[in-house]
Amino acid sequence: MTLRESQIMKIHYITGLAALFVVAVHIIMRLIMPFNTSLEYGNVIANYHNILYAILLESILILIALHGFNGVRIILIELRQNKHWENGVTIFTIIAMITIVAYGTRTIIMANGLGFE
Amino acid sequence: MEISKERNNNDRDNREGLKGWLNPSRYGWERLSYWLQRLTGVFLIVYFIGHVYETSSLTRGLDAWNAMLQLTQTPWGHLFLILVIGTSTFHSSNGIRLIFTHAGKGLGRPGRPDYPYDAISLNYRQRSGIWVALILAAVAMLYGTSVLFGGK
Repeated sequence: MTLRESQIMKIHYITGLAALFVVAVHIIMRLIMPFNTSLEYGNVIANYHNILYAILLESILILIALHGFNGVRIILIELRQNKHWENGVTIFTIIAMITIVAYGTRTIIMANGLGFE
Repeated sequence: MEISKERNNNDRDNREGLKGWLNPSRYGWERLSYWLQRLTGVFLIVYFIGHVYETSSLTRGLDAWNAMLQLTQTPWGHLFLILVIGTSTFHSSNGIRLIFTHAGKGLGRPGRPDYPYDAISLNYRQRSGIWVALILAAVAMLYGTSVLFGGK
């Protein structure tokens, strides 16, 4: 399946807008108490144990990875255009995207208590 | 097949490469906005990767988390976070302007190119959008400073 650039740009915009919303919630969660207190180990673990917050973190991870690495792909393709470069950049960004989502998901699962404590 | 062959024959690198991409000076406001959007985007993806790594210290227990906090919760760490707040606010608000622009909103009517060939599309709405993005970024940075250094 090959997506057209116009379809990829729609995904880029939708993930950007959705990320803006979920990141805003993530920041508000840091500001409902003094910032330093919100970063204490107990508080952060309590956030991860809340299943809704864990889902929010997972969605931030996926949305920003998609939006960010697609942005990197756009920049790299603007710098140079040929078939090998474009294919290489696309493969690189997909692998980077999957790696960061997998690594972040591991943290969320372990801190949520499914593989931790 | 023919198209692909023709495309390969025409392959060429961008002549100016990174140097051309990093030069914001030649094309006016729209170019400056383009340049800042990409620079802030690259900065934010690097921060995102670092943040995912930073938070993974949670899985190694209390001591690892506190050691990571000692590294990041410093005046320099706070200054870096303020920069993250500013760049993310600019990237978001300018990104929303770009979504409207890509949809053809706020571009005005096409017109005959007359000397000195100012871009008609770069009208007051577009210029205001860029300014709003810069002002919002500055306000967000001020708020971030008050939270991080004000002890709230």
